[in-house]
Amino acid sequence: MKALVTGAASGIGKALVERFLELDMQVAGVDREAVGNKGNLVSIRADLASRQDVDRLIVELKNHGPFDYVVHNAGISATGKFEHIPDEAYRRLLTVNTETPLVMTSALLAAGCIVMDTRIIFISSLSHSTGYPGAAVYGASKDALAVYAKSLRKSLFKDRIHVMTVFPGPVRTDHAERHAPPGAKAERRMEPGEIADRIITAARQRKKVLYPGKAANFVRIIGAVMPETTTRFMRLAIFEKLQRSVY
Amino acid sequence: MAKRMAVDHQLVLTGRRQAHECAGDLPPAAHYIKADLSDPVLSARHLAAKFFSLELGRLDLLIINAGIGFHTSAGREDVVMVRQTLDVNLVSSIMIVRQFAPILEASRGKVVFIGSVAHRGAANMPTYAASKAGLSGLARSLKSEWKGRIGVQIIHPGPTRTTMHAKAGYDPGIMRKLFFSPEAMADEIVQCIRDDRARTQISIRARLGRLILRRRP
Repeated sequence: MKALVTGAASGIGKALVERFLELDMQVAGVDREAVGNKGNLVSIRADLASRQDVDRLIVELKNHGPFDYVVHNAGISATGKFEHIPDEAYRRLLTVNTETPLVMTSALLAAGCIVMDTRIIFISSLSHSTGYPGAAVYGASKDALAVYAKSLRKSLFKDRIHVMTVFPGPVRTDHAERHAPPGAKAERRMEPGEIADRIITAARQRKKVLYPGKAANFVRIIGAVMPETTTRFMRLAIFEKLQRSVY
Repeated sequence: MAKRMAVDHQLVLTGRRQAHECAGDLPPAAHYIKADLSDPVLSARHLAAKFFSLELGRLDLLIINAGIGFHTSAGREDVVMVRQTLDVNLVSSIMIVRQFAPILEASRGKVVFIGSVAHRGAANMPTYAASKAGLSGLARSLKSEWKGRIGVQIIHPGPTRTTMHAKAGYDPGIMRKLFFSPEAMADEIVQCIRDDRARTQISIRARLGRLILRRRP
């Protein structure tokens, strides 16, 4: 079995790589940083915000496929008032979080690296269930990803290619640490290892969507039933606590 | 829309065609700025520079309408298509809104995003659907972030008899008869902008309802 994981050097991506290796799979780990070659793991360096890097990556991946699992995990954020974050930061964010997963999916399908029974997994965000004042463009990038996945699922269903979207709430990663409002409690965030286990279990069961954990499921329901209230809560919890922009 | 808005607005219009190519189609008093949104950062800056050189002093309404799409089964989209669709529909919109947010705030103005009914997903236009979902999410967050400062509205039009379907490589066939005419859709959109509801879906059903209730736009 073969797996491809983007953003493999840290957080959920790193945890997924470890799990896949434990399952005796061959893993291609893509990241800006070195992932480290060990045993069945091949590290591929690429900046997923760079179109040149992505184009090069696509060519290289043809030597490693077809894959049983393709996990679009790499993601970055930008927190702060919408108009306080520079154009270039938004450009990078939208490329890493939205453009690159879409481009890679199209290219991997065309190259025959995604085939019958491949599971394509998109890591969106729990923010898809709510407005995200204080990270409006991040929210938009993850909404776009979620709706792409949903559209893709409908048309790849007949080819028996399985598409799953994951909507994680706060996870105990460096990423969350950098962007969390002051006073946020790290111990309330889910461990990356736990998320990775849940993702692999859900993918095996061919789940269409995964909201990992009780809290995420709660937000999903509240967000659907009371969208305005949920967004107002997000404003209080995040936007009004912003002290600086992080991107 | 431009023709309808010209009645009570000073208009600044933008498109990717040369000014002389579309001069005959535009309201006579409108300003026109040529900008190709396939380079989002540069075109947004160019647009802002040209706008401010007109020295109009204020901006009451920013309508983000430009959009492209390709009709292909999912995963058969090519890389250039994906990048172009996201650049024009989503990235450019964000860059333009960023440029004009300060003058909108100073003018107590409003930004209107033209989304699409496809924002909830479309099997044969996955990237297009994604770009419109992004706009929808952006509107939802900015609405909260800009409360009391800048108005935010999103309108999701249903299928319209524009040239977009042909450009996207899709022939709706007999279904085309059920589509809105561009005039009817423009009526609906302009009415929605005046009504100022945060989010509206313009469907055939809603139009029938409006016609029956004689609430002519």
